[in-house]
Parts: sequence; structure tokens; C-alpha cells
Amino acid sequence: MLAWIPRGLRMGRVTTRYPQAPEHPPPGFRGQVRVLDSSPAPAELAAICPTGAIGAGSDRRLALDRGRCILCGACVRAAPERFAFEERFETAARERRALIEPAQRAPAAAASAPARARPPLGQRARPLRRSIHVRHIDCGSDGAEEWEIQALWNPYYDIQRLGFFLTNSPRHADVLIVTGGVTEPLRAPLERTWALMGEPKALIAAGTDACSGGLAAQSGLVAGGVDRVLPVDVYVPGSPPPPVALLDGLLKAVGLLRERSAMRAARALGRSRPRRGR
Amino acid sequence: MTLSSLRNVPTSFLPKHLGAEPLAGAPGELWLRVTPLSFERTCHLLSRAGARFITLLATDGGRDEREPTAHGKHERGLVAALALRGHLLAVHAPRPAAEPVRYGSLGAWWPAARWAEQELVERGLAAPVGYAASRPLARPDASRLERRVEGLDVFAIPYGPVRSGIFEAIQFQIETGGENVLAVTTRPYFKHRGLERRFAGLDPDRAVHVAERIAGTASVAYACAFAQAVERALGVEPPPAAQRWRALHAELERLASHLDVIAKEAETAALYVAQARFQILKEQVMRLRAELCGSRFGRGLVVPGGVRAAGGIGPEPLLRALDLLEAEFERDSRRLLATASMTDRLLGAGRLDRELVERHCAVGPVARGSGLSIDARHERPYGEYRRVGVRVICERAGDAMARVNVRLREIRESLRIARATLDRLRRGEAALCAPLPDRASGAAFGWAEAPAGEVVVWAELREGVLANVHIASPSLRNWALFEHAFGDDVLTDFAFIEHSFGLTPAGADR
Amino acid sequence: MSAVLALALAALALAPLLATLSPRACSGATATGCALLVPPGLAAALHSARPLLELGGWLGFGPLTVSDDGLAGIFFTLTGITGAAAALSTFERPAGRLEAALGGMLALLVALVIGAGNGFELLLGWEGLAICIYLLASADRSDPGRLAQGYLTFSLTKLGGAALLAAIGLLYARTHSLALAAWSHAALGAGARGALFALTALAFGSKVGMLPLQGSLPAGYAAAARNGASWLAVALGAGFYGLWRFEVAVLGPLPSWCGEALLMVGALGAVAGIVYAATQDELRVFFGYSTVEHAGIALLGLGVAVLGLSFHERTLAAAGLLAATLHVIAHNLAKTLALIATDRLELASGERGLDRLGGLSIKLPSTAAGLGVASLTLAAIPPLGGFVSEWLTFEALLQAFRIPSLLAQLLCALAAAALALTGGVGLLAFAKGYSFAFLAVARGVRAHVRELRPAVGIWLLSLALVGLGALAPWEVRGVGAGLKATLGFNLAERAISHPLVLGPVFRNFAVLAPTWLSIVLPLYALGAAAIARAGGRRREARRAPVWLTGSGAEPERVQYRPSAYSNPLRVVLRGPLGFRSRLAPLGAGRWRLQTSVTVAVERFLYRPAASLALRASGLARTLQSGRLSHYLLYMLVALAVALVLIPVLR
Repeated sequence: MLAWIPRGLRMGRVTTRYPQAPEHPPPGFRGQVRVLDSSPAPAELAAICPTGAIGAGSDRRLALDRGRCILCGACVRAAPERFAFEERFETAARERRALIEPAQRAPAAAASAPARARPPLGQRARPLRRSIHVRHIDCGSDGAEEWEIQALWNPYYDIQRLGFFLTNSPRHADVLIVTGGVTEPLRAPLERTWALMGEPKALIAAGTDACSGGLAAQSGLVAGGVDRVLPVDVYVPGSPPPPVALLDGLLKAVGLLRERSAMRAARALGRSRPRRGR
Repeated sequence: MTLSSLRNVPTSFLPKHLGAEPLAGAPGELWLRVTPLSFERTCHLLSRAGARFITLLATDGGRDEREPTAHGKHERGLVAALALRGHLLAVHAPRPAAEPVRYGSLGAWWPAARWAEQELVERGLAAPVGYAASRPLARPDASRLERRVEGLDVFAIPYGPVRSGIFEAIQFQIETGGENVLAVTTRPYFKHRGLERRFAGLDPDRAVHVAERIAGTASVAYACAFAQAVERALGVEPPPAAQRWRALHAELERLASHLDVIAKEAETAALYVAQARFQILKEQVMRLRAELCGSRFGRGLVVPGGVRAAGGIGPEPLLRALDLLEAEFERDSRRLLATASMTDRLLGAGRLDRELVERHCAVGPVARGSGLSIDARHERPYGEYRRVGVRVICERAGDAMARVNVRLREIRESLRIARATLDRLRRGEAALCAPLPDRASGAAFGWAEAPAGEVVVWAELREGVLANVHIASPSLRNWALFEHAFGDDVLTDFAFIEHSFGLTPAGADR
Repeated sequence: MSAVLALALAALALAPLLATLSPRACSGATATGCALLVPPGLAAALHSARPLLELGGWLGFGPLTVSDDGLAGIFFTLTGITGAAAALSTFERPAGRLEAALGGMLALLVALVIGAGNGFELLLGWEGLAICIYLLASADRSDPGRLAQGYLTFSLTKLGGAALLAAIGLLYARTHSLALAAWSHAALGAGARGALFALTALAFGSKVGMLPLQGSLPAGYAAAARNGASWLAVALGAGFYGLWRFEVAVLGPLPSWCGEALLMVGALGAVAGIVYAATQDELRVFFGYSTVEHAGIALLGLGVAVLGLSFHERTLAAAGLLAATLHVIAHNLAKTLALIATDRLELASGERGLDRLGGLSIKLPSTAAGLGVASLTLAAIPPLGGFVSEWLTFEALLQAFRIPSLLAQLLCALAAAALALTGGVGLLAFAKGYSFAFLAVARGVRAHVRELRPAVGIWLLSLALVGLGALAPWEVRGVGAGLKATLGFNLAERAISHPLVLGPVFRNFAVLAPTWLSIVLPLYALGAAAIARAGGRRREARRAPVWLTGSGAEPERVQYRPSAYSNPLRVVLRGPLGFRSRLAPLGAGRWRLQTSVTVAVERFLYRPAASLALRASGLARTLQSGRLSHYLLYMLVALAVALVLIPVLR
């Protein structure tokens, strides 16, 4: 048993220093699809996407809904002058309409957008800024998102150093990570789990399936995204989202990222304490 | 059907007096047409001859023409896919239009066929005689408790669908007297997303993305099986370089999956350093895959006809990475097997008799851990595996330790195959994808060895667009065996046995 | 005081006759009689009065008296309180005439046994008690299981009676007198004393649940009619009195092996009793085995007392006897209360087993309170009386270094270890018994359960038990005064150092202040509650349903069973417990789990003995051919044998 100690110390430190230091994706990594040219496009272009992510935005310009994009690359192959893959880990957003690229302008046009998201957890309860308990629930994913969420606790990412802990009981959980567009038999368990969690709580929809139902959305057996059932705080699209994207999403849900970036900016500007606003 | 088409089909291995007319399908497939009345008898004779049940499906047929071509476009009916001595047998019972086929129930005497049959019954495609199902499969009710053990000392615990830890949703009903597990009832189908029907109307290029997302942790294997089904239906052979890239990614996927199982077993045994070590190895494999194809799960690589792109890193750095991985893995696995607190938990837990596994027609490490040497890469070699021989790893004990041992040895074998494939890739060829014929039709089976076992896909194409697809997932067949794995095990062994099976509910539920 | 005693006995004798009028009248008379037993008992114990009731010698075998000295006074008081409570509970609930009459009869016979000054009177009372107990235990003749248990109770009690008869016969042979006073002053050899010890221990031990004759208790409690079990607990007093009287007072200094045997039997009985109790799922049987355990603990104290007398260490004997007496008092009160509460629970809910109960503390508050206090006392939780007596037993056992014999010291040490084990397992067992009946969510019975009013008996006994701990010094004073005649000195002077502080008769060895504990512990609890209240303003409590992995199943249907709670104990000790479990297939994928716990004594002693007896009676039955000619032949043979034997014996 003692022989495991040298085995454990063998590789030294492999843990990333994210978010203090940036984490770069490998070259060629398919992080998200970028719209290069958003001029109005013919209808056949929209038919290329298997999940219907390509559509017309508010002003009839080309828009890509990253919440529906499964990163298959059909659009990139069909129209490389309009679409390109971007190597980027951080894909999380706090509002559904922030997932639509390019950024939509008039909020009034998006009538079906949900109300302004709640403030991050860290602002709602002070003790939750450094200690968050996370509970995961699977509502119909394909199994890959679970691997990526499990990877958050491996030595490479080690999310415990940031104060995130995994818990089995929803009563002790602050954040619920939901994967999979919600299938009918799992809807009631999801609602039960959410109801059991105490305020303040946050919900993260991890994966394209959770954001919009993914490929299964058209089959009618899936609710079409977690936000059809429960209010979502952070959307993390991706098929599946890599661990750094999930980490980014968690930090956004907790509000640490803004605070840290505010502190970093303040330090860069030479001020002693950043102004705590909003 | 002409005699000439039969000449190339060896039929000597079939049992006598089958009462079925053999037809040739795609290479390696043998179709036996029977009437619905003799369907059950034929399957029974074949099972006695040693056939292994794969799946039961309903073919679409399209229009009512009956012209068995060299690739077998067959009419609407019920098909039982069986594997016998390296051939894929399809027992085909045609049915009149729009009526469920009436035939003698297979599930009554073949445990392996129960769930597949029940699915067809619930979809209204089959009406087996003598079929009795205790509870519906589709739309499971999580709050319903079915008791199988009576007695004052027994109580039932529903475990799932929201389980402790980061796991997929499936429910187990555990009946126990306190410590001893008396009975376990497995209830899948919580995650039924209806992906089989999603294929309809898609062209093969886009449909492969659906195939990748059926079981996300085995994307490459399912995509390979689907691509192979389409290629065999249309008579297309992918170029050798594509086959090598497919084999390489499939082996990397197997590595990641087996390392994941071992990390989970170490975590359950509270051996956290070992868990961390194996998680590091798995993360290295995932990052390697991301560097090779841009996706940590190998998605977007396989396409019917070949692969989309070659690897993003050269063979030399890849070989170095594999060598480093192997060195670390060897030491870690040796240390793991020497840790008594770990092996004590696995030895004797979840024992499966060979005969039970045969009756359930299990596949994958579950079957190989009980002494059955079943491996799709060896039985019906496909792709690069025809050139690189595969050693089938078997253990006899049938307990969780045997299944873990199978995986440890398969990791070594996968590394060897990966290196052999990489060697041939270095003598590079340019062609990566063969074009598919335009607006073609056909139907065939395709298969691949996923980390959990053999996955078989049936694809029907009409005018270049997919019409009917059926997936025979290894997880579904193996989940039916899970409840028999509890002999005199206690509740705390549950996690060990479950992880040693290494199955995905997403693949089973589709 | 003699007049009060006479009145008490008269009331108890009248009670069965009143049963023909109405059960309530009978119970009332019994309650009055028992209550009237208390003043003479207290007077005898505290003030050394000696109330005496002469009944004349009209039965032959010497004069019959009901005398009341210090030792009997303690037991009269105990019987009076427990009997009054049992009679009150019978009064409150509709009871059959036979049961009420039997209750009164039993109280009278127990009083007779305790007050007997004559061996014949003792035997008369004892045999009458046996018949009463048999009638109580086999009241339900429709259930063959219960009938068999009633027979078992009766046969074991008869065995004890036979041993008592043999002991009395031996004593008569040696002293030619049937008076207890004569026996106390007789000069008996060590062998005779040993034999008498064995016989009387067997006799009285079978009543209180001493191994290996303990079977009568679980069987009797389980088989007893509706109020019968609480009367069986009242009858325990007679058995303990017999042990005290004979082993300590009458037989005087016994050989040392007697004390050692008592220690061994006591330790084994205590451990076996509580371990079997923990695995039972029926409350009645559970309390039966608990009696076995507590009898074992009382025997530990008695064993130390006997050892002390053997080695002429009167202070040690006093320590042991104090512990044992306090234990008997606490146990009898608690057991009677527990059985009364169990009876009420059964009446209200219609269920016997723990499996279908649960969550009844709101609907049955008095019963829950009564069973709670009784469970806490029996599980020896401070500051209640059960804890005081167990502490004193521990301290008595720890005095082993004063005994010169190595074997005795070793046995005392092992007995102390066994006592500690019973403490732990006892907590497990009583937590199971109480919580599965009264706490958590109801598993079966629900709507029709209603508390019976009034509940005077329960409240009376509960108050007595709660006071037993707080007022322990006064209890010790009473016991000391009562045992003064037996031991020769008043141990209360040595045991109570400070007005409220107890010690195990040996000064400066150890101290315990139960009165202070009774004040301080509740104050701690109140203080903790106050702190929680004050600091908890910011944190609100939120009620949420039980988490069942999101399945939505009803919590009642997936709850732990009582047998699952004690399953680890059953599995770990499956050898000694005789635990068997088997899955029997029912076809169509369904199974049935059959489990059984077989008491070792039952398997190795009772069953072979029973089969032997049945075989012997089968043989004897062949003699009962039913033919007159055979019977005449037997008479001729008997006459011939007698004619031959008489000149030989002369």
C-alpha cells in the first residue's frame, strides 16, 4: 500500500492553473463554430444542419444557434467562407440568447427569451463563494458528458482546489448540472431533485442536448432542453463540452470568474481593491 | 435466387433439416427465409447448434417487390440476427403488410431474446405466441416497485434513476434482507431518445453523426459499425489508410474506456492514488484523441466511405506518447494487482457461470471474463483487423476480478494493435474516403467491437437516403445479465459488479 | 400493620370471587389489595416492624403464617406497586373474567410465596403460581403455536417446582421441620448446602429466566392473553424473592463454587438474552428475552453477594446484594410498565410484530411515553434507575480483588466484560424495539389507532421509574434497612457518603450522584436547545421529503425492516444464534426468504428432552391398554412388591 505514494508523486504537478493561467486547446480542436460572414443566406444552407442550428436572426442575417450546434462540421464543409471552427474552450453563457452567434441586438424581438437570469451564486450567498457542492443528474445524455464532468475531479483539472465538491445528496447541493435533453420518464426525477435543493441554488445545462435537446429534439421523446422544465442559470454548449468549458460554466454560475477578472483588471490598473459593483 | 449465387455461400456449417432456404446477402451474411410458423423452430435448431443471438428487428422493405439482389434488399418482415461460426445469419420471416407478425415467442425459451422481442411487441411490429412480459419496457415508472422476493425480512430499495455520483440514469431495484442482495431488477429505457427513428430521411454523411451520439463513450465503434453497414449495403470498400485510421481510433477508444472502468473500480475500493493514476492515463488518451481529430471522443472522423481527415499529429510523436503510456500503465497495473485491499473486493464478486452467459448471449468483456472467446474483430474481422490479427483475451473465473483482468490485458493488446496500425500508416497513402454511389439503395448489416462488446447495425438505404436503421447494442444484451450476477454478494459489492460490467445505459436505451 | 396485611390478603382473595360479577370489580379489588400490600412492606423494610398473619395449622404440615421481615418487605412493596399498576391497566381495558380472576389469584399467590414462613406454604403458593401462569399463558387455545408455548412454560415451571419439592424434602430430611426459621439455623454440611443451592437455584431460576431454563419467559410472554404478560412480570418478584431468601438468608455461607456458578450462569444469560432479544421482531418475545438478560445481571450481583458470604466478607456481600436488589426493583417496575404498554399497543393497533407498526407516538402518547421510560430504564441510560443499578453491579464486580480465590476473580472480570457487552447490545435492541414501534413513518397500521383513556397505571409506573433514579439515595436507604437482618448491618450507612452521593458500600472506591444527574442532564439538554434557538435565527429549517434517488417511491414502502436493522448482528453471530436463511423458489421468477433464529438451549436441551419425554410417554402409553385385566394385574404386582419391600425396609 505504501508503494502507491511514490507512484502518486511520480509526475509532479499536472494540474492546470486555470483560471489564473489560460488553458489553450490543441490545434485543430473543435471548440465552437464561428460565423465569418453573416449576410443573408439561401435556405439550402439552413437545411445542411442536422439539428436546425442555422437560421435567420432578428434582422434576417445568418445566425448560428450554438445551443443547437453539435459540432458535426457539415456547415464548415459546405460553406467554408461563412463558417469556421474555432479553437476555444470557454463556450458557456448565462443567457440562452447569448448562445446565438453573432450577438443579437434587440432584446425586444426575442419575445420568447426567458427573464433575466438570476445573479450568480456567489453574489446571492457569501459563504458560497469558496465552497460549492455540485450534484449531477442525467436526463437523457449519451454518456460522453458524464465522462467530461467526471474528468473535472481528475488530477489534471482538480476542481476541488477551487472549492467545488461533489455531493450525492441534493439537499447538500448548491449547483445542479443537468446533462441530456429531458426525456419523459426522467422529467419527474429532475423536478424532484431540483425541489429538494435548498436556496440559493443554480442550474447548469451541460451539453448541447441539455441546452436544446440536440439531435433527439425532433423525435418527440425529449422535452427539448432543460429550460423547458426548469430555469437555467448557465448554458454550456458542446458535444460534449470539454472539462475546461464545464469549469468555465461552473465559475460563471458561481460568479467567481467575473470577480477574478475584475480583480485581475484592477491589479493591472494598480488599484488596491476592485470596486464591488452589481 | 439462382444456384450460382449460392455456390459461394458455404452452408455446411448449418444444421440439417433446417427447413429454410438460404440466400446470400452481403459478404459474410447468410439469409434464411422461413415462414412465420417455422421461425421459432429454425431459431431453436440454430441455437442448439451453438448460434448466438444478436438481435430481433423488423425490416421495412419499402415497396412490395421481392428481388433478392447480391446485397439482399428484402421484403418487409421479421429478422432474427444470429452469429454462428463466424457467419452472420439472418433468419427472415416475411409478414403481410401492416400487420404484426405472429410467430412462436423466442423469449419464452431464450433469455437473450426477451428484451429485443418485447421492444418489437411494444412498437406493434410483432405478436409472438406464448409471450408473457411482466412489466412494460418503454416509459418506465420510477416509483413502481415490483417485488420478486417475499418475506418479512425483505425490503426493496429503488436505486436510480438519479444515482449517487456522476452516472447515467438507469434504475435498479434491489431487494435485500439487510446486507445480502437477494434480487436485483434492472430497468433501463429511462433515456430512450428514439434515435433509431432519427436516421430516417438523412443521407449517410449526416446520419453518421446520429450514430456517434447513440452511445457517446463508444462513438467511434458505433460510427464504424454504421459506416460499415452502409458500405456493405452499397458495395463500397473504404481505402486502406481510412481503415487504419478507424482501427487506431477504435483502439484508443477502447483504451480510454477500459482505463475508465479500472479508475472507477479503484475509486469504489477507496484506492484514491490508483484512481488518480488511471484517470491521468485516461486523460492523456483523451487529449491524444483531441490532438488527432479535434474531438476528445473521436467524433466527426468516421464517415461512410472512409474517414474525413488524417491525424493532426505525426506518427512519431504518437508512437512516443503510446510508449510512455504503456510504461506508466504497466507499473500502475502491476501495483494495482498487488494491492490486496483492491483484489479482495473483486475476487469472487459478481460471479457469472459460463453456461448462464451463453444462454444470455452476452458479448464483450463480460462474456470473455467467463471463458467465452467472443470478439467481433476475431469472429468476423472487418477493416484493418483482417490484416492485423487480434488475440482474444479470455479469463475463466467469471467474477469481477476476471473482467478487470480481461480489460487490463486488452489494454496491452490494444496498444499492440495501435502500434501495428501506426507502423502501416507511416507508409502513407493519400486516399482517405471512397465516394458512395449516388442515390443508391441497399440493405446490410455492419458490426464493430465497441469497448463493451460487439455492436451490430442494420441499415436500409433507399435512393441514397436512410430508411430503416436498427442498432443492436451490446449494453442491452449485457444489462439483462446483470441481475443474475448476484450470488451471495452484499450491498457494498454492488458498485464493483456494476463497474466491472462497464455498460452504458445510453447505448441500451438508444 | 398486621391488620393492613390481613386486609390486603382478604381483598386479593375476594377478587376472583368478584370476577363472577364483573371483571372491573375484580380488577378493582386486586388493585386495592396490591396497594394495601405496600404499607406493611414499607413498614417492615424501613422500621423493622414484623407484621404477622397467623393462618392456623388446619392444613397440616405445621402452622401457616404470612410473615413480613425486612427482605420480604422489600418484595412486598415491589409486588404491591407492580400489581397495582397491572390491575389498574386491567381495570382500564375490557378484560375477560378469567383473566381478571387469574390476575387477582396470581397477586394473592405471590404474596403468599413472599410471606411464607413454612415450606409447605411456599410449595403451595409456588404450585398455585405455576397453575396460574399456565392458565394465563395458554388462554388462547385456538392458536396451536401459542398453545405449544403455553405447554413449554408450564413444563419448565413444573420442573422448577419439582426441584423445589426435592429441596424442601432434603431440608426436611435434615432438620425434620418445615419452618423457614428452623432451616436458617440448621447445621448443614458443605455438600448438602451445595445440593440445596443447585436445587433452589433451579427452582427459582426457572421462574426468573435463568439459563438453561429460560424458555418459559419468551414463550410465556408471547403466548399470554391480553393482559396476561404484565401479570407474568409481577410474578417475577416471587422468583427473585426465593433466590434472595434461600441463597443468602437460609442457606447461609455457601461453598465458593456456588457463587462462581452464579457468575457464570448470570454472564451467559445476560449476553445470550440481549443478543437474542436484539434479533426478535415481536415485542412480547423481545421483552421475554430482555427479562432473561436482566435476570442474568441480577444473578451477577447475587453471585458477588454469595461469594462475599462464602469468604466472610460481609461488605462485599452487601455491595453485591445492594446492586442486585436495586436491579430487581428497577427491572420489575420497568418490565411491568413495558408489558402494560405493549398490551395497550397491541390492543390499539391489532399488531404484534414490529414490522407493521411505526409512527404511532403521536396517536398513542401515553403508551409511547410509558414504553419510552421503560426502554430507557432497561437499557441503563443515565440518570434513570436502571443505570444506577448497573453501575452498582459493575462496582460490585470490580471489588473482585478482595476475594482470595483466583477463579472467582477471573470470573468476576469476565462477568464485568459481559456486562459491558450487554450494555452496548442492549442499547441497540431497545432502540430498535422502541423506534420501530413508535417513531418514523407508519408502515402499516394507521387510521384506526386511538389511545385508550385513561392511562393511570402507565403514568403511575412511569413516574415511579423516573423517580427511581432521582430518588436513588432514599431507595438505597430503604433497601439497606430491609436487608439489615440478613446481612447484619445497615449498608446504607456505608453506601451513602454525602446526603445525595452513592458509593458501592466500600467508601472512597467510586461515587455516583444520580440525583444531581437527574437535575444536571435535563439542564444540559435545555441549555443546548436554548443555544440552538438563539443562534439559529439566521438559519431556517426547511422540510423536504425523503430522498429516494429521485424515484418517487413512497417512503413507507421502501423503509428498513426491523429484521434488517438487526441483520448485522444475526450475520456476525450466526453460529451462536443459530441463524438460518434460505431462498425458496416459488416459480415464475419469484422467491420467498425464510429466516429463523434458533436458541441454542432450545436446540440442544429442550428438543432432545422433549423428544425423550414424548418417547417415554409413548412407552408408558403402551401400559395403558384399557383392559381391566391388565390393570388388575398391575395392582397385584404393586401389592406383591409392597409386601416384599416393607419387611426389607424395616
